[in-house]
Amino acid sequence: MTTTNPADHTMSGTGPTGPTGPTVKGPKRFDKPRTPQGKAARWGEDRLGIAGGMRKQLNKVFPDHWSFMMGEIALYSFIILILSGTFLTFFFDASMAEVRYDGAYVPLDGVQMSRAYASTLDISFEVRGGLVMRQIHHWAALLFMAAMLVHMFRVFFTGAFRKPRELNWLIGLGLITLGLVEGFAGYSLPDDLLSGTGLRIAAAIMQSIPVIGSWAEFLVFGGKFPGTVIIGRLYIVHVLLVPGILAGLIGAHMALLVKQKHTEFPGPGKTEQTVSGERMYPTYGMKAGGFFFIVFAVCAALGGLAQINPVWLFGPYNPGQVSSGSQPDWYIGFLDGSTRLFPSWEIRLFDHTIPPLFWPTLVLPGIMFSLAGAYPFLEAKFTHDKSAHNLLQRPRDVPVRTGLGAMAITFYGVLLVSGGNDLIAKAFDISLNAMTWAGRISLLVLPPLVYAATYKICLGLQRHDREVLEHGIETGIIKLLPHGEFIEIHQPLGAVDAHGHGQLGYAGTPVPKKMNQLGTPRRPSIRGFFYPVREKADIQAELDALAAAESSREEHRERELTD
Amino acid sequence: MSTTHGAAPGEQLTAEEAAQLSPEEAMMAGAEADGVYIVHRRDRFPIAGTKAEKRAERTIAIIFLIGFLAAVAFIVVFCGAVPFEWRLPGTGNQNYRYFTPLIGGLLGLSLACIGIGVVLWAKWLLPEEEAVQDRHDGASDMTAQILGAGTLVSGFEDLGIARRSMLKSTLGLAGGALAAVPLVALIGAMIKKPNRGPRQSLFHTPFEAGVPLVYYDGRRVSPDDLLPGGLATVFPGVEGGTKDADSPTLLIRLRPGQAVKARKGQADFGWGDYVAFSKICTHAGCPASLYEQKTGRLLCPCHQSQFDVLQDAKPVFGPATRSLPKLPLNVEMVDGRQYFIARDDYPEAIGPSFWERP
Amino acid sequence: MTDEEHLDADGDLGFTPAVVDDTGRPAPSRTATPRRRALRRRITSLAVLVGALTVVGGGYAMLAPASGADDTAATSQDVEAGRQLYNNSCITCHGANLEGVTGRGPTIVGTGSADVYFQVSTGRMPAPVQGAWELRKVPKFNEQEILQLGAFVQSKGGGPEVPAADADLRADADKLGDGGELFRLNCASCHGATGHGAPLSAGKIAPDLYRATDRQLYTAMQVGPENMPVFGNNQITPEQKRAIIGYVQAMKESNDPGGAGLGRIGPVAEGLVIWTAGLGVLMVSILWIGARL
Repeated sequence: MTTTNPADHTMSGTGPTGPTGPTVKGPKRFDKPRTPQGKAARWGEDRLGIAGGMRKQLNKVFPDHWSFMMGEIALYSFIILILSGTFLTFFFDASMAEVRYDGAYVPLDGVQMSRAYASTLDISFEVRGGLVMRQIHHWAALLFMAAMLVHMFRVFFTGAFRKPRELNWLIGLGLITLGLVEGFAGYSLPDDLLSGTGLRIAAAIMQSIPVIGSWAEFLVFGGKFPGTVIIGRLYIVHVLLVPGILAGLIGAHMALLVKQKHTEFPGPGKTEQTVSGERMYPTYGMKAGGFFFIVFAVCAALGGLAQINPVWLFGPYNPGQVSSGSQPDWYIGFLDGSTRLFPSWEIRLFDHTIPPLFWPTLVLPGIMFSLAGAYPFLEAKFTHDKSAHNLLQRPRDVPVRTGLGAMAITFYGVLLVSGGNDLIAKAFDISLNAMTWAGRISLLVLPPLVYAATYKICLGLQRHDREVLEHGIETGIIKLLPHGEFIEIHQPLGAVDAHGHGQLGYAGTPVPKKMNQLGTPRRPSIRGFFYPVREKADIQAELDALAAAESSREEHRERELTD
Repeated sequence: MSTTHGAAPGEQLTAEEAAQLSPEEAMMAGAEADGVYIVHRRDRFPIAGTKAEKRAERTIAIIFLIGFLAAVAFIVVFCGAVPFEWRLPGTGNQNYRYFTPLIGGLLGLSLACIGIGVVLWAKWLLPEEEAVQDRHDGASDMTAQILGAGTLVSGFEDLGIARRSMLKSTLGLAGGALAAVPLVALIGAMIKKPNRGPRQSLFHTPFEAGVPLVYYDGRRVSPDDLLPGGLATVFPGVEGGTKDADSPTLLIRLRPGQAVKARKGQADFGWGDYVAFSKICTHAGCPASLYEQKTGRLLCPCHQSQFDVLQDAKPVFGPATRSLPKLPLNVEMVDGRQYFIARDDYPEAIGPSFWERP
Repeated sequence: MTDEEHLDADGDLGFTPAVVDDTGRPAPSRTATPRRRALRRRITSLAVLVGALTVVGGGYAMLAPASGADDTAATSQDVEAGRQLYNNSCITCHGANLEGVTGRGPTIVGTGSADVYFQVSTGRMPAPVQGAWELRKVPKFNEQEILQLGAFVQSKGGGPEVPAADADLRADADKLGDGGELFRLNCASCHGATGHGAPLSAGKIAPDLYRATDRQLYTAMQVGPENMPVFGNNQITPEQKRAIIGYVQAMKESNDPGGAGLGRIGPVAEGLVIWTAGLGVLMVSILWIGARL
């Protein structure tokens, strides 16, 4: 490794001090700090003794593929949720006591409502900046769930859940499940007509549990729906219990990530024993920190520019009232959809009833989450794969898994769309009954079709990669041969045999498909397709020589200009 | 990778040697000690102060400045430059509608500028670097495993759990019972026996014989009120009846020519061309109240169950399985005018089904 | 569904306040290009609102003397003029004596001038063919003609009468709370808490209320057009009807304090926004941050 040699010219100094040789004393003496910062560091080190451990964490290497940042969106939304949620707790009153509204929003003047609803109106209309906080909080919640889902898809399709990371897959599923609970509790707190309708359905779902149903409802609601305690209970669940567990699980999720280190895509120089990329400090940390601000910016902009959950338009909850088009937030939408599509089957058992609501709202999600949780173990069992994997797989290289994932997403998607089927029916002038039937049929027919199509597409993509590896890239140059045949010239990717066929084997790594993907000024490093890692130093020397020549030319020019 | 390196050099340096290193060299040596090999590292601007570098620096500085200005503008708007008090249209300054978009937008802009600026700083100015780190993951090496297992087992043997079975079982008993305590305490505190107490029965509503039917504002309902094809939500005229979750009832006056095929034993539940059904859907409890007066269809907006009023509110589409319960109606004369009363409570439990429901 | 209805329902996610034009014609904003940005849309809607209010004021001023004076006791000239219009446009389906023609149109005896007003002013009548329900269209007659037509139908068969043109059908602001409660109890189940409308069983719909005028709302409650239930005056008193209208129009006209209204249709639109705009921007961001250049 020439780069470890301090004299290497690639290590030319980062600051104005310029290159330093090993015999020249550095300007700083870390063993005898003189600056205030240095003395502060010494003070801390004397007490904590963290120099080594801290260095290890700062030097941690993160691979920087774009798709590895989806989980960060979820993490950052969680932080935004805590910040904005804390603001809201200063003003929200989780009480179901009845009050007569007398506030700034005139259209609800004199209306009887719970203090929870009234204080939500106050946050929206009388607390300066309260509305934007409410909206940021709600948008961040929608984003939190969406980001967790896309992160889960990424992990699934690249096989990142395989040994040794099954535990983190399970923790992730737990986070999504708790996120659903947390989101539903938050959605219910304002006690408006929309959320009250949702809460009533939740009560009916509890009631539908065989044997203990009515006990469960009475336990949770402190009596028959709606009772007088549910908002207060949901509040403490929403602001303390579930966020606490979420924070703990997120901590465990991250700790496992740090312990096991991130996966990365295969490629030249990538091995199962190493991870390559940028060090945590400073580069990766800068990018990740900057990204936090970007996520926050999106939430703030949405919170200002797009109105969300305008509870004042819905009115306070009243069991006799309902609005058409009542929907849950999107992440509960799949349960609403499954409930809409489920046929009217009621089971009678020894003079007892299992209501139709039980199956689509409790059994179906139970099966969905159990299958998702069991998947890593099922896949390992069926493929007899007991080894640990740190290198990812491209979706096309595992057609069965990719097909299964696409199938599951389709199933979920049909449920989600059916959760809004009344609005679709209205918008596109389709019969509601037709929408329901279309959903029922699609739910059974589409997933297998999507599986088959995905499987074929994966094989096709693989085949194309192999063709390029064998014959090279299509150059678009057509050549007329002496005997009149036209052929297209292909640029081989590497050494060719006597027949002009490429020697490179299929390795599950990206293959350039266009001429302009060859030799692009991406980072000139071991990442290139052609060169294995051992030859890196030579390439580097060559490139650096080029760069040096370039810069000396520029220097020369500048001197000429200044003269 | 680790095979291409020898022992990590950082570990072998004496403090005096280390003190001679420049920060970058120290970083390199430390990284190698951590199994991190910087295989490529190059300044983006090997010569300090070139035009390109200055341009990059200036661009990022401008972005940060925009972020600063946006934050200042946020504070100005927030502190009163734009009103935020809601006003009915035509009764005051309507500019409040710009308040939230402005502060949200400005906050977003400020945050975005800082975020983008920081990322650009990393992308444009920090040295290009490619580091490779040894993973050292998976199980510990066999010696460590054996020593760890030995530690566990030795402690276990010291405890003598295998020998002292009496202690084991009694502690197990105590611990197990104690573990159940919080669960029992929580459930025990929260549990309520269903169907006990006033207004707590899943089988009954506040309707009973003689209870008047009232509108939400308390006015009594008369057969003169509704026109054919009319629909009203009515409640039991008792204390808290209009807020009770099980009480909302749909009073429907049929159109001429419409008739309800009544359920067995409920033929006389209607009154004239009036029928009354529970508004609470038998599926999930939403108010099923999208009534089509000509076709007699009743739709629930939550899961699209459809009931046919003319078939005695039987479910004809969607997930609901049970007909809407029917309220037996009667009429009493008060001051020469007829008013509806309930002849009895609903003959069955209203709302969504549950285990105990026959 | 007509093109205009499509625009309302989904072409333009942002909510535009109702434009009260007493002929029920679509106001200019409806034909403007969609995809206006949130801020611009709000400015535009304010301009449209101001413009429309001017038009409404002017329209009332012009029309009131022509038809308002004797609405309750229509003159014989009005009835005669209505007969002419009826014979030209309605008689083929509803018959010479309002008795209806089998296979073409139902009897309209006893539906009254209120029903005529609702059906004709919303453009539902005259309809080209008989269907289960009709959608809002551009009306074929002007306000005066509609009232004349109503006077004729009223004279033949009686029934609920259209309120006088100069009648104030909106209750004052102090009745907004009551109006809202009545609206949510009786109307929101079909028309939605924000007046967005809803599908009913098997392809029927409850229309949105975005362009409904005061009198259209009032007459609709009086007669229960098509599948809408009838709300008699004993059940919902005229005063309560005025409160409902006051609430609906104030709700429609009120500005969204929290930015673009997203059609005021609730979580489905919000979900679409987070998956497209929110996650979309962030996906582009991570592609940019993750790019090697």
